[in-house]
Amino acid sequence: MDDFLPSGSMPGEPLTPDPELGVALREALAMPHDGAFVTRLRALVRQRPERTWDEVLAGWFWQGVLAMSLVAMAAAAGSMVTGQPATLPLGEESLAVQLLDSDQPGSEVILNAMAGPR
Amino acid sequence: MNDVDDTLLAARAAGGDPEAFGALIDRHASMARRVAYTVLENQEDADDAAQEGFLSAWQAIGRYDAKRAFRPWLMQIVVNAARDLRRRRRVRTTEPLEFVAAASTHNPAREAGVLDLGDRLRAALATLPERQRLAVVLFDAEGYPQAEIATMLGIPEGTVKSDVFHGRRALRKVLESVKEEWDG
Repeated sequence: MDDFLPSGSMPGEPLTPDPELGVALREALAMPHDGAFVTRLRALVRQRPERTWDEVLAGWFWQGVLAMSLVAMAAAAGSMVTGQPATLPLGEESLAVQLLDSDQPGSEVILNAMAGPR
Repeated sequence: MNDVDDTLLAARAAGGDPEAFGALIDRHASMARRVAYTVLENQEDADDAAQEGFLSAWQAIGRYDAKRAFRPWLMQIVVNAARDLRRRRRVRTTEPLEFVAAASTHNPAREAGVLDLGDRLRAALATLPERQRLAVVLFDAEGYPQAEIATMLGIPEGTVKSDVFHGRRALRKVLESVKEEWDG
C-alpha cells in the first residue's frame, strides 16, 4: 500500500517534502482573523515590559559566574607568583584597621590628611 | 521592515524595541496559530497558546541565541505553550463553523470541495498521535527541515522521519480520495 505515496517517502529513502499535501494542510489549518490576532498581540507587547528585574538579573547570571571564576583564577595566579596568599594571613590587620587604631603612632596625621581641611 | 531578517529584528527586540517584536509577530502569527491548532485541535485554545507563546518569547528575547534561526526557536516556545495548555485544560473537540467558512475561496463550486477537503484533513489529523501530527505539519506544511523538527520536539531525526511517513500516509489517503471525487 505504501507504493502509492508520492515524494519518494519510503522508509529507507531521504525525506522529501510533499508540496501538494503541504498546501492542502496549510489551507485546512488556516485560521481566520490573523489581522485581529496580530493587532491584539502587538498591543499586549507594547503594554508589557520586555523584561522584569529578575529576568535582567537572570540574564547576567552566567556573566557573573564567569567574572567570579576569573577573579578567583587571578587571585590564585597572583598568590602563586608572589608566593604570598591572596588574603591577609591570620592575625595581620589591614592598613585601614591599622590607621583607625589610635594606638598606632602617626595614624592621626594620615587620617587628617585624607579627610582634608574642615 | 519586510526586508529586515528575523535575527536583526530579534536583536532590536532584545534591546527593548516592541515594534521590532511586533514585526516578528506579523511574520509568524499565521504559522504559530496553525502549529498551536495542530496540537490543540481547537481554534480558541490555539489562539490562547499562540498568544502565550509569543508573550513568553518576548519575555525571553534577551536569552535568544542569534546564532540559531529565530523561527524554530519561536515555534519551539509555541509548541511548548500549546502542550502546557492542553495539560491544563480539557480541550474542546467541537469545530467552530466560522473557522471552516473562513478557509473558503471565491469559486462556489470549488468552495464546496475545499471545505470538504479541509474538514476531512482535520478529521484525519485528529486520528493521529500528537507527535505525528506535529511532525507532518511542521515538515510538509511549514517547511521545517527534519533536523530542526527533531530539536523542536526533542526526538531523534529518525523518529521524525518515521512520524512524517506514517502521518503522511493517513493524510494522503484523504487527499487522494477527495481528488478522485473532484475528477469523477
